[in-house]
Amino acid sequence: MAGQEGGALDSASGTDRPPSGSLSFVDSIKTDIAIVGAGGAGLRAALAAAEARPDLGIALISKVVPMRSHTVAAEGGAAGVVQAHDRLEDHFNDTVSGGDWLCEQDVVEFFVRRAAAELTQLEHWGCPWSRQADGRVAVRAFGGMGTERTWYAADKTGFHLLTTLFQTALRHPGIRRFDEHFCLDLLVADGRVQGVVALDLAAGAIRLIQAKAVILATGGAGRVYRFNTNGGIVTGDGLALAYRHRVPLRDMEFVQYHPTGLPGTGVLVTEGCRGEGGILLNRDGYRYLQDYGLGPETPIGQPRNRTMELGPRDRLSQAFWFEQQKGRTLRHPVWGDVVQLDLRHLGEARIDERLPFVRELARAYANVDPVHEPIPVRPAVHYTMGGIETDCRAATRLPGLFAVGECASTGLHGANRLGSNSLTELLVFGRVAGEEAAQIAATTSLDASPALRREADAIAARARSLINPDGQESVPALRDALGEAMEAGLGIFRTEEGMQQTADQIASLKRRYRAARVTDRSNVFNTEWLQALELGFLLDVAEAMVHSALARRESRGAHHRLDAYRSRDDERFLKHTLSRFRDDGPPEIGHAPVTITTSPPAQRSYGGDGRGSGER
Amino acid sequence: MNGTIVIEVQRYRPEQDPHPWWQAFELDYRPEMSVLDALHQIRDRHDSGLAYRWSCRMAICGSCGLMVDGVPRLGCKTFLRDYYPDRIRLGPLAHFPIERDLIVDLRDFLDKLAAVKPYLIRAAQDERPSEPRRQTPAQLARFLPFAQCISCGLCYAACPEYGLNNRFFGPAALALLHRYNRDSRDQGRAERLPTMNAEDGVWGCTFVGYCSQVCPKGVDPAAAINQGKIVSVIDYVRHLVGLSPATLGQDATQEGER
Amino acid sequence: MSARRPYIRPMPRTWWLRNPVFRRYMLREATALFVGGYGLVLLWGLSALRQGEGAWLAYLAGLSHPLALAFHTLALAMALYHTVTWFALTPKLMPSRIGNRPIPARWVKAAHYGLFALCSLVILLLAAGVH
Ligand SMILES: Cc1cc2nc3c(=O)[nH]c(=O)nc-3n(C[C@H](O)[C@H](O)[C@H](O)COP(=O)(O)OP(=O)(O)OC[C@H]3O[C@@H](n4cnc5c(N)ncnc54)[C@H](O)[C@@H]3O)c2cc1C
Ligand code: SF4
Ligand code: FES
Repeated sequence: MAGQEGGALDSASGTDRPPSGSLSFVDSIKTDIAIVGAGGAGLRAALAAAEARPDLGIALISKVVPMRSHTVAAEGGAAGVVQAHDRLEDHFNDTVSGGDWLCEQDVVEFFVRRAAAELTQLEHWGCPWSRQADGRVAVRAFGGMGTERTWYAADKTGFHLLTTLFQTALRHPGIRRFDEHFCLDLLVADGRVQGVVALDLAAGAIRLIQAKAVILATGGAGRVYRFNTNGGIVTGDGLALAYRHRVPLRDMEFVQYHPTGLPGTGVLVTEGCRGEGGILLNRDGYRYLQDYGLGPETPIGQPRNRTMELGPRDRLSQAFWFEQQKGRTLRHPVWGDVVQLDLRHLGEARIDERLPFVRELARAYANVDPVHEPIPVRPAVHYTMGGIETDCRAATRLPGLFAVGECASTGLHGANRLGSNSLTELLVFGRVAGEEAAQIAATTSLDASPALRREADAIAARARSLINPDGQESVPALRDALGEAMEAGLGIFRTEEGMQQTADQIASLKRRYRAARVTDRSNVFNTEWLQALELGFLLDVAEAMVHSALARRESRGAHHRLDAYRSRDDERFLKHTLSRFRDDGPPEIGHAPVTITTSPPAQRSYGGDGRGSGER
Repeated sequence: MNGTIVIEVQRYRPEQDPHPWWQAFELDYRPEMSVLDALHQIRDRHDSGLAYRWSCRMAICGSCGLMVDGVPRLGCKTFLRDYYPDRIRLGPLAHFPIERDLIVDLRDFLDKLAAVKPYLIRAAQDERPSEPRRQTPAQLARFLPFAQCISCGLCYAACPEYGLNNRFFGPAALALLHRYNRDSRDQGRAERLPTMNAEDGVWGCTFVGYCSQVCPKGVDPAAAINQGKIVSVIDYVRHLVGLSPATLGQDATQEGER
Repeated sequence: MSARRPYIRPMPRTWWLRNPVFRRYMLREATALFVGGYGLVLLWGLSALRQGEGAWLAYLAGLSHPLALAFHTLALAMALYHTVTWFALTPKLMPSRIGNRPIPARWVKAAHYGLFALCSLVILLLAAGVH
């Protein structure tokens, strides 16, 4: 039956007329606000700007159709205080202790106050939140949260959230989409950002999009690692773009491992499973978390907040590592070491109602049906806590430039993000960024653009120069080597020596990258070239991560060391790491103070020690 | 168990090829490999120029639709083990223009999704915008299956009516329309009726039913469309007896289901 | 300026031959011809009845011709095929629920078959009564 969906099909290539090579750049577009990224953060920003000022032109630029953004993959839920007995202070304290006191506390305060209103707004836009029998919104337990406050739409929260935002955005004629446009660089002149240069992937044309304000919402950088829960497009583009323009990246050493990724693929199994009562077992069927300060063991089917399986992610991933060292994990012939996530006691009806997607994923990618068998899982890189440094209004140090979502560091997550805080973050700060940008757009005018055009030409030429059929280095090989280096030196546990080795490897990979081989000279969907561009971003982001990590001589949150710096050192390191790009060598590492308002640093304790909600 | 498998891929490079052609690759086979993994292997080891879309590799972003032995499927959720040791033919999604290799132009499809007013339409401003409205699990269940669409386009590649006449709104768009019509919070049914009633709306469907078979998310667009036909007929009859659609109130198919 | 040159694939007339689903669909559509043909035969009978006894008897004689028998058998098979495929689709048309739980598709189909059997029985009884 194959071969039918074409007209005449040759079995050999056509004329082999070589493509024409570079297209000179085409159009320049003027707009008020340019938003790079159409995931949850970018869409929320676009909606806020369009609502604040319907007359504004908003360019929404994304390298994929918005619905393909990785927000779509979020499963578990979004946190916001809604239950009568829950309190904003509790959400605040859970977040700050979860972040090991590296959070900007004024930002956290702002966030928890705005959270529920944003989730409610989403309800009004049509999000199909899961409900209680009486029709009120349901909430579930999540790791590190002292009470049930995570709103969810079954186990496809990100999908529904993104769909709702995307479809609502269709109502606003001011939002002009540039789908499948790859942002090559920011345009910076006279000390402020003036727009972006993007490649139209289908046409192969370069577009200069001049704007009064630019919002980066490009998502995280999980793909610097090999084994991760992120989509292929999560390559840290925005982080690298801002960074190369000397905007500091903050707290890049903190990379979250999610304790339950499917072995082999890294596909995520949501924390919602444990929120619903799922348990983690080692090879002996023993709930090993009780050995790591997360006990006492809770009865099966009665999960307790901040205890055992509902501890924070950094702790759970670390516990896996110890079990592995002790030889108490299961060894799978193809997948290596795993532990088991057991949902069987929840029963089929509950699994199908609350966790249908997990069931679908486990069947497809691990070949087990969680109704009848435990799911094999292991930690996988999941989230970049650090990002482009912003203030509480999502503004970066570069005038006119905002950053929001996973690519930003507002200081909300500190050293370890609590699950379900980041979807809410997209909404709360996406909105702020959109409103702020709208305000700037109202008071700024666009410059005449001959200089910008020259700059855009230069950007296009630089990007194009990466096409090099004579290069000696294979892009996939460099990418894999980077992933391996990061896993070796910057994993769940770290040592000075290991990190230094990774730093050296990255330096060498960056050198080799200059001789990367890109053979395709064509213009239409030149994905080989894109991969090479993305690898360039990944390398810069990885370098910032490893050097930030080397500079933090203590253990905190997701940054845990096994050398001389095994414990937290508030004396010297209750501060943010700032990493500044340098052309010729590793970044310059600096520090910045942490804003503490009401919660002075304290012991972080979970399980029996951490009763109630956080440590006040 | 680990041998090799032959994958044939349809190629089309617009700047070089006058028309599409087939190319075969012999790959290392592992039973856990998906079709998407196979494409990665081709790109990384054999031909770096092969173009295809992908991202989430967990069947939720809708990027990786393609024809596997003539059947529309998601590459990331189709496994080589179900074909091994036979060879597999991979082509771009049927009925769409080919941009390059396995990448098709989905703009027409995406525009149609956007054209059905896929958002909540309310008659008046909400009284309490600061509170979530209530919606019971039963009300939620009425539209939730139709809200699972990942806009992958497989159903359009499966729909001969769309292939023959691409003015037809097609499965996913009409299912999306139905999703909002069935939401207890929506009051926009009258606004969406003209789209439904049009010749290229629900009546363009001849109930082939293949769209529902290939849908990877169980959306069942064929059901949505044919329930839409009932709504459309009732609307027509009410029109005949002089009731305007605005007075229709709730969805006609709704009443029978209480 | 754009380097795009999208390739549009023509839809060949034989599109429905490539896929078993489409072949079955086309067969279902084709059953309409036979059902329609059967309708014509009935109409012919009606008009014969109006023309008088001679015409009616000729009509009845015509019906027992082997060709007519063959046609009727075929038409019955086609009508049954249509019925079966149509009943298979009915759960899609009637997404009924009891409270929170959808009624299983099997039940909807079963109800249709039940009704079908009942109607057939009534008609058979009526026919038997006439004789
Ligand atoms: C599997 C998974 C499950 C998760 N579950 C949860 C959860 O349950 N709860 C929770 O709170 N958080 C969860 N998270 C985290 C959360 O989903 C992400 O942090 C968040 O969705 C990121 O959103 P974003 O808008 O910042 O970026 P994304 O959604 O990743 O969007 C990035 C956008 O930027 C665009 N882009 C990137 N680079 C370029 C470029 N060069 N040019 C043009 N466009 C570009 C992309 O096309 C895309 O549109 C999860 C994460 C993962 C990976
Ligand atoms: S209805 Fe199903 S097949 Fe069609 S686009 Fe949506 S998810 Fe894909
Ligand atoms: S890669 Fe996302 S659906 Fe297949």
